Amino acid sequence: MSAIRLLHLYPELMNLYGDRGNLICLQKRLQWAGYSCDIVPLRLHEPIDAVKSDFIFMGGGSDREQALLYNELRRQADYLWEQIEAGLPSMWICGGYQLLGQYYETADGTQLAGLGLFDFHTQAGLGRMIGNVILETEMTGDTTELIGFENHGGRTYFNDSSLRHLGRVVHGFGNNGEDGGEGLHYKNLIATYLHGPLLPKNVELTDYVLACILRRRGVEELPPQDLELERAAHRQARQRIMGGQRG
Amino acid sequence: MAGKAIIHISRMLGNQGSDFPGRIALKIDPQLLPKLAGQIKMHTIIVTGTNGKTTTSKMMAAILAAAGYSLVHNSAGANMVTGITTAFINAAGITGECGRDCALLETDEANVPLLLKAIAPDYMVITNFFRDQLDRYGELDSIVRLIGDSVQNRDVRLLLNGDDPLQAYRFACDAKSYYGFAATPYDTLTSSDSREGRFCVLCGAELDYRYFHYAHLGNYECSGCGNRNPQIDYLGTDLRMETGIEFELEGQALRSTYQGFYNAYNMLAAAALSLELGVAPAVTAQAIAEYKPRAGRMEKFSIGGREVTLILVKNPTGLDQSLGSLRYDPRPKAVFFALNDNAADGRDVSWVWDADFETLCAPEAQVEHFFAAGTRGADIALRACYAGFERQRIELHDRLEAGISASLDHGGGDGCVYVLSTYTALFKCRRILSRYARKRTVSRLPEGGEGQ
Repeated sequence: MSAIRLLHLYPELMNLYGDRGNLICLQKRLQWAGYSCDIVPLRLHEPIDAVKSDFIFMGGGSDREQALLYNELRRQADYLWEQIEAGLPSMWICGGYQLLGQYYETADGTQLAGLGLFDFHTQAGLGRMIGNVILETEMTGDTTELIGFENHGGRTYFNDSSLRHLGRVVHGFGNNGEDGGEGLHYKNLIATYLHGPLLPKNVELTDYVLACILRRRGVEELPPQDLELERAAHRQARQRIMGGQRG
Repeated sequence: MAGKAIIHISRMLGNQGSDFPGRIALKIDPQLLPKLAGQIKMHTIIVTGTNGKTTTSKMMAAILAAAGYSLVHNSAGANMVTGITTAFINAAGITGECGRDCALLETDEANVPLLLKAIAPDYMVITNFFRDQLDRYGELDSIVRLIGDSVQNRDVRLLLNGDDPLQAYRFACDAKSYYGFAATPYDTLTSSDSREGRFCVLCGAELDYRYFHYAHLGNYECSGCGNRNPQIDYLGTDLRMETGIEFELEGQALRSTYQGFYNAYNMLAAAALSLELGVAPAVTAQAIAEYKPRAGRMEKFSIGGREVTLILVKNPTGLDQSLGSLRYDPRPKAVFFALNDNAADGRDVSWVWDADFETLCAPEAQVEHFFAAGTRGADIALRACYAGFERQRIELHDRLEAGISASLDHGGGDGCVYVLSTYTALFKCRRILSRYARKRTVSRLPEGGEGQ
């Protein structure tokens, strides 16, 4: 099998709060399972379709950097949609998530058009939503808990009620701090506000993404791995959040 | 005069903290700071920038004291205008007079424009500009612009880092000198941490680097407009960092027990300013050599014949620098890391993924074992694991003391230990190490002790 390719969109502009840890996590898990895996950075002005990829990833960035990318990516929206519909696994964090919607409305009312792949929009709000997050999700089969950290000023609202959230908020704010939903899950696409990075200590979610990637390569099962440290980190963070933080 | 009474009252009220007397005094008399600052007899010096302000200004204070100058110097952390006012209040005698030779003011970069409204500095030293992880003040660019505006048409001499593309040509001020390093054996052709400096601040095109010293500091040229390093006035040469730091500046050898490229820059900035002020090079060299690191800034302990280095880490840049200096140390070693997520550490621990932890696994780093503890110790253990450090060589402990103790027991006779800690675990780590330095000789886990 040729090396599995994880495409990292614009790492020099969009890489906040440890987001690249998600890619490191996938790469290491694949390598431990015996697959060779490359993280391929896509730079500004390089077309996405130039790279045959198994996974697409985009992290968060500052407002200015995000604005730079809206135009760049809008030209490629059709290609991206085709890939997403065909089941290409992808992950979009924070600013990357907001970009997938209809528009982002800044504090002064300016609307930045998004890619319009999904019918939701994001509005800048007063005060940032910052803190640890616990979600409950059924996306991986059984009910599992995801743990991460959010830090966003934008509030995301689904206009299309058939869109599915990544999970329900147990602790934290989520998409908008109002409707109890967090993130977006569509086919093999995951979009979320959770930094952390999300994958290393959420084993079930990572297994799900790995399964999506490998299935498209004709592999049905990932060999079992020692993930005790991952689970320990999940447990410790969970206790810390639920037990209340001091100091 | 009213100044005397204000100083007295605010001192009496202000025992709580280093910002407090200044805050009260400025409320009563906003003109107090200009009045006191105006009494400085010779030089007023501002030290600012993102990283290295404290070490650089402390080294300068040691040099100036050795050269016989009396000083007003604000304590670390109190680097906003209120803290600086407090430093002047503390220096003013019972008469309300503050007749010191020099004022050496470590200043938060976002506070420089405000401070310049109150005082007229003779020199301003800038260490470097890094985008802070959380980008506290919004855009770094706007801070640099505000500092630039505030020095325009002012009679202040700038001492700038010529290796930092975020500084060169940003200040419309004729009186400026640059310091920087010549090529060194530690330079790299790529830098994983060069995001801040990848694009030209003048035209936006991508910069080509001949080499990186560390992060985005290095030898660059813009592919678009030709913007490149300015002529360096104070050039550090022959840098060696195997044991401590050694380099030459204008024929004078400078040495320190500090480690890491970032500290080499702090030494260079301090020594370059001393040359500007006319301090004898031999006095500078001796003051730097004798200058001892503060708590958590490369503080050394000797425990049962083993050398232990305690380092405070608080952001990815600082962590990268610490990991970098650890790599220059050729001895086999154990690393202990205490990661807490209290408010003062930052609740968000994701920053450890922005640091280049892969350095830990480089063969020349000679890290044999990794120990972790703290309220989020498992997160740092996991980071080490995903950096490629083998699981069998990672130990997670519930308590700081157990983790530190295990790290001391590890390794051969010539092995050393690096203890890295975030802020709220630092003083506990330090207490444990101090206690061990006094009495720990055997390789056994002591009973009891502190939690985290």
